[in-house]
Amino acid sequence: MSKTQISAVAELRRRARELIIDMAATPTGCHLGGSLSVIDILLAAHLHFGNGPEHRIVLSKGHAAAALYATLHLFGHIPNPVEHYGRAGSSLTGHPNQKVPGVPFATGSLGHGVALTLGWALGQRLKGARGVGVAIAGDGELQEGLPWEAFQIAQAKGVGNFAVVVDVNGGQNDGAVTDISPMPALTERLTAFGFAAVACDGHDLAALQDTFGGHDFLGKRPLAILAKTVKGKGVPSLEGNPTSHYVVLQPSQAAAWKRSLS
Amino acid sequence: MSLSGRAAYRDELTHLAAANPSILCLEADLGGTKHPFQARFPERFLNLGIAELAGLDVAAGLAANGFIPFISTFAPFAVLRAAEGVKLNMGYMGLNIKLVAPYAGVSGAWFGTTHHCLEDLAVLQSIPGITIAAPYGEEETRSVVRHAAATAGPFYIRLGRNDALTSFDEQAANTRNGVLWHMHRPARLCLVSVGERGTQITLQALKMRPDVAHAHLSYLDAAHLTLAAAELGGAYTSFLVVEEHRFFGGVASSLALLMPESQVRVHSCGFSWPHTGGEHEDVLNVLGFGREALLRQIGGLLDKTQFNSCDGPD
Repeated sequence: MSKTQISAVAELRRRARELIIDMAATPTGCHLGGSLSVIDILLAAHLHFGNGPEHRIVLSKGHAAAALYATLHLFGHIPNPVEHYGRAGSSLTGHPNQKVPGVPFATGSLGHGVALTLGWALGQRLKGARGVGVAIAGDGELQEGLPWEAFQIAQAKGVGNFAVVVDVNGGQNDGAVTDISPMPALTERLTAFGFAAVACDGHDLAALQDTFGGHDFLGKRPLAILAKTVKGKGVPSLEGNPTSHYVVLQPSQAAAWKRSLS
Repeated sequence: MSLSGRAAYRDELTHLAAANPSILCLEADLGGTKHPFQARFPERFLNLGIAELAGLDVAAGLAANGFIPFISTFAPFAVLRAAEGVKLNMGYMGLNIKLVAPYAGVSGAWFGTTHHCLEDLAVLQSIPGITIAAPYGEEETRSVVRHAAATAGPFYIRLGRNDALTSFDEQAANTRNGVLWHMHRPARLCLVSVGERGTQITLQALKMRPDVAHAHLSYLDAAHLTLAAAELGGAYTSFLVVEEHRFFGGVASSLALLMPESQVRVHSCGFSWPHTGGEHEDVLNVLGFGREALLRQIGGLLDKTQFNSCDGPD
């Protein structure tokens, strides 16, 4: 990657985080910690696949809608979401819905986005098309049974153009994943389910894109990326802070956190 | 010899698929080993395994590709286990999914309550945007499957188990505004039959009661019931809905709301849970649903109820 490209990516990451923090400073607030953990995965997926007619990127952990809206804005799908997010009359709801340009399916009830994406990818296979379905899930989300039903089907039907990226931020609504219902050995578990399972730094866009680029989407093995992330990533005072799950910010706090972005 | 509803569904869908390459047939391990669609179009037949909730989502993803997925599993698993997929994929997102549910009511009989579903219409009717059908007999079932395949949007098709029921004669000619007028005659009470067994016991009861009318409803969603209510209300004022469903939440509940000027009662499966085996009819008897119980209810109504007038066509 050239210096110019690196600089452009850094600016993209900074701008996305500013938008997310601004959405946390709206009257409704947002799921800030998980949005800041997943944003680099969303950016990498959109940089690699785009969000056009050929592929589908589905945010299965729909509570991180602020990150999705920031991404969709930066890639030209929607106007600046900060002015609309959570407002009466706006389709930018706290969990994304299919009325928003660039959102293929309504998500937020956890697990569904994974299975919906699998179905879409399977449809591409049946049509003889080459679209890739990318579902972005949370590690807490995998406590649901539904994703594992989907993984089972992905293996059984050999849906190699299906990818699931797990935002392994270690947190969930009521605390730490390890304290509530641990999800150990995810790489091994997904490998056992027939995935090409790869662990990766979920904040390293180049590594994420390389992982996408290295997979054989025309083959029969689906791809799983266990993307290690930090809740609240980018805001030093927020990183690893379990209280960051849902936040309503004062404007002054938002301004300070935007200035502190690392 | 008629086919059962689910056999008619499988056969009709296989015929339709020959002319429409967008039709897919999805099963969740309950399609049997001799499914005609699988034999004829194996590349478009997807047994997803025992995974109903994911199955509804996979169907949604396929529908988003322009396919017409027909997905079938037993009613309790289709409607209750996969209820969230029904709400979000079929209702909210309005995707072109056709959910076909045999084993509705207690047609699962001795298999027990896990395999019964007396609650499906309550769930489906509360979710806007889904066309709901409960056909009776082979011909009506085939007609509903053809309609579903030709119409964009989500469908729920309620079927029984293996009952092979004789179809109505002159079905289309006698249908107005979604009401099949089987016995349109002067009467103080009009029976409104719904579904396979509800219609079957109604037809049996009619042989003993030439003084009641009979209307059959195949489509049960809000749009169809609104039309049907106007049609029914224009002809009679007192109705007894016969439906293999819970007391609340079925067609009678909806018609009562849609026809506030009319008297709407129900012959239903009530409130209790069956704990015993036997054939379909045995389980229905435990629930107080059947020909004899229906005849007693009709007798009680006609003997005890004060009606406004002798209703019906001249």
